[in-house]
Amino acid sequence: MSLSQIIIAPVIPFWLISLLFALGWVLAIVQYWLIQRRLGRSRALRLSLLRLGAISLLISFSLNPSLVVKKDNKLSSSLAVLVDTSESMGLAGPEGNGSRLDEAKALLLGGPKPLLKSLEERYEVRLYAFGESLRSIETTELAGLKAGGKMGDLNDTLGKLDGKNAFAILLSDGNLKWENTDSAGLPLLALPLGDPKGYRDLLIKEVRAPSLAFRGRPVSIDVNIKSFGYNGRTLPVLLKDGERLLTAKSVRIDESPAQVSLSLSFTPEELGHHKLSVSIPPQFGESLTSNNTMNLSLKVVRDKIRILMVSGSPSSSYRFMRMALKNDPSIDLLSFVILRTPSNVMNVPVQEQSLIPFPIETLFSREIKNFDLVLFDNFPYPLYIGPNHAESVKEFVKEGGSFAIMGGPNFSSEGGYLNGPLSEILPTRFTGNENYRRDSPSWARLSRAGVAHPITRFFSSEGGHPDLWSGMPALDGINLVEPKSPGLVLIESDDTSRSPILSIGSYGRGRALVLATDYSWKWYMGRVAEGKGGLAYLRLMERMMRWLTKDPSLDPVVITLPERTITAGQETEVRIKVREEEVSPKPRGRVLLSVFSPAGMKIGSLLKPTRESGEYLGSFPVEKIGTYKVKVETPAGSVEESIVIPGPLEGLDAAPDHEKLRKVSSASGGKLLFSRDGLLKEIGVYAEKGEKHFIEERRLPLWGSPYAFALILVLLVTEWYLRRRWGLI
Amino acid sequence: MMSRRSLFLLVLGLTAWFFFYGPKLVLAAPFPQFFLAQLKYRGGEWDPNTQSVEAIIEELELRTSVSGMKERRIVTLSDPNLFFCPFLYMAGKYDFEPFTPQERETFRRFLTYGGFLFAEDTLGVKGVGFDRVFRAEMSRVLPNHELKRLPSDHSVYRSFYLMDSIGGRQKVNPYLEGITINNWTPVIYSQNDLTGAWARDRFGKWVNMCVPGGEPQRSSAVKAGINIVVYSLTSDYKKDLVHHPFIKRRQAQ
Repeated sequence: MSLSQIIIAPVIPFWLISLLFALGWVLAIVQYWLIQRRLGRSRALRLSLLRLGAISLLISFSLNPSLVVKKDNKLSSSLAVLVDTSESMGLAGPEGNGSRLDEAKALLLGGPKPLLKSLEERYEVRLYAFGESLRSIETTELAGLKAGGKMGDLNDTLGKLDGKNAFAILLSDGNLKWENTDSAGLPLLALPLGDPKGYRDLLIKEVRAPSLAFRGRPVSIDVNIKSFGYNGRTLPVLLKDGERLLTAKSVRIDESPAQVSLSLSFTPEELGHHKLSVSIPPQFGESLTSNNTMNLSLKVVRDKIRILMVSGSPSSSYRFMRMALKNDPSIDLLSFVILRTPSNVMNVPVQEQSLIPFPIETLFSREIKNFDLVLFDNFPYPLYIGPNHAESVKEFVKEGGSFAIMGGPNFSSEGGYLNGPLSEILPTRFTGNENYRRDSPSWARLSRAGVAHPITRFFSSEGGHPDLWSGMPALDGINLVEPKSPGLVLIESDDTSRSPILSIGSYGRGRALVLATDYSWKWYMGRVAEGKGGLAYLRLMERMMRWLTKDPSLDPVVITLPERTITAGQETEVRIKVREEEVSPKPRGRVLLSVFSPAGMKIGSLLKPTRESGEYLGSFPVEKIGTYKVKVETPAGSVEESIVIPGPLEGLDAAPDHEKLRKVSSASGGKLLFSRDGLLKEIGVYAEKGEKHFIEERRLPLWGSPYAFALILVLLVTEWYLRRRWGLI
Repeated sequence: MMSRRSLFLLVLGLTAWFFFYGPKLVLAAPFPQFFLAQLKYRGGEWDPNTQSVEAIIEELELRTSVSGMKERRIVTLSDPNLFFCPFLYMAGKYDFEPFTPQERETFRRFLTYGGFLFAEDTLGVKGVGFDRVFRAEMSRVLPNHELKRLPSDHSVYRSFYLMDSIGGRQKVNPYLEGITINNWTPVIYSQNDLTGAWARDRFGKWVNMCVPGGEPQRSSAVKAGINIVVYSLTSDYKKDLVHHPFIKRRQAQ
């Protein structure tokens, strides 16, 4: 005990204590002065000192003196044991004996004296399953752990464990998320799992491709391949559309591990959604083959609508239609006009004529597939193209192309349209009595189907109004046709014959249209004459072309897919815009959402309107990997979209990354423990470093001590005894 | 039983019918797609060549795939059917009365939104008579567009025949003039009296002499007429890329 261990805490003000001490001194001096004549100086001094000692001790109690006693205590270490349970831990461990997770379990639970048990005996152990999320588990749960899910975030995990544990032990193959933040937190001892040297895998690491491509324009898809253990090999990389091979390239692997990049190019020819895949055929000895393929979705649209127009002769119908088509920047028009027939007189040398040969063979045998629409304008085709070319037009439509007829006398006068190959495509047939009528003007009216059809359903902003067609001028000539099932008449003559003027239909995968007149240009000039402009005619032509070529801009519905990648097990939302409601809001509830699983089964979905007019939000659960089909139906038509749900192992780089574990442990102040022998000893070293101490401090009040009272009593009794002996009492 | 004489007469009659009408039936399409509407205006002489339309339509049907109507239509600027006459012809020799503001507005709308006008000064004197008034009226009808010489690569010079010079009854200008709006020339103007060169009487004889070039000048006038009609029905079709190599090759020959 030293004076430094004594502390005081006065119970009354310090000045009062000083005053009391001063008073005690005065009393002692007065006592000395009174008794020194009778007893002499020596005895008076002793008695006064005894009295002063007793009084001082009593007054010192008001200082509340205490003795401070400190004691150093040690705490036993607490540590977190993290077992990686991400997807890659399910892959084969060293020498193919079980999985990497099994290796972890064996390390903790195996042997005559399991490591986990030893740790629990010495330290306070907290056990965690470390996957996409951190989960505290009991020791008994460890044996039943299964690998699955995405890799865990180690920075986040160590942040959560720091402060509660002396250090952490991580059992992992190194496939985890971690960033070096340069801040030493919880020390980490890493026990690496898996065998990096024996791991063999080919992996499509990354595929960069546009989600939208233009038909007829090359698309480049960048592929990044990672290889482990296949150095010196040349491997094929395949790009497929479903099961159809689009292109393939060979890559040479020169080292291991290696990363190789290549570009695969192809030119899409078919419009619509395509399920593409980039793949490497599985190789012998591969640890994981499901990451050899990566799926992607590509929507192919046209950059321009390519139209081949053949006109039977120069005419106002041709010129106005040409004007309408050339007016549309999204249309690429190639037109041929038959300027002279074989019966015309050619009275000048060829070099004085601007006529060019009609490249029939090139157009109808080779190039036809490069067009979206073939348009015959009053064209007597049997005079110019052979039956084989007519067949190729038919085939073109059957395979998804479009075909349109602009009428006129030539449409009726040649037998090819009556019973030739093209008659099968058309949505109309001739009545058989009189094929072209010019004797009386024909006014046009919308049919019942025409009122709702996107071709003829004009909005007011597009020059349309309910009386649009009744105000149109009469046509001076129409082809007398009748509808053919399953054709649809949109505009018909406004007389008792109800002769179809604009009819549409489909053939195979393609569409067909007949405008049974060569006087449609009067609809343009008639409106111009009234000072209303020719917008209605231009819109009609544009919409005819867009409908024929299945242009999405005429789709009654637009489906917007989620931008983020959807994984199995998530709820997915799609945004649906119904154009018709957008323009003229009507009671909702006419929109139907259907979702089909990759197996083609209809699954449950929810559709609810948003606050925006014509907008809906559709949601459905995604449970399996593959391509889901979303279909939205409205009275005006339906639209389909596809969503690709990638597999969990798709793109998974599952190679054991012990180097990363070394970096992680080193950055945290820990260590990568390769050797399985002496693990406990190594852990012990870190446990010591992490041991915690605390000082226990106790305060013992001195005034409450019986020794203090005894001392006062001794002083007072001694004084009393001396006084009695020396005859003062 | 038909007698030999009756049979002979029948064969003779059929042969004569075939020679006179047969070719026309074969060549002429049953439903004409083209007709020419002539603009009748006040003052001056609006119809200087009355016998030209049938002649040019015959040539048109003979040489091209266009089938036309031999009877012209006569319209005025106040005619409600004006806008259904996509080929408007206007000719004259002398001064005529200026159009009214309403007529100018109608004419402007007609020409701006798809109509076509072929006009010609049959007098053929620059700055005098029809030429002077027509130019003044056009500058009022289409004030922002100038009537000027059409360049040699204009589609009207190659719409059917490849032409580098324009003939006519007279040869005032070896070229055509026009007003062009956005790649389309709705007004084509000539002072060579093309219709005078086309005109034939009922016996098929040319009505006017072509000076100074004679028949080659007439031939060029007919070709120009056909080119103008075909241009009015096909616009700048001959400017399409597919025609370029052929036209270039032939022009080089």
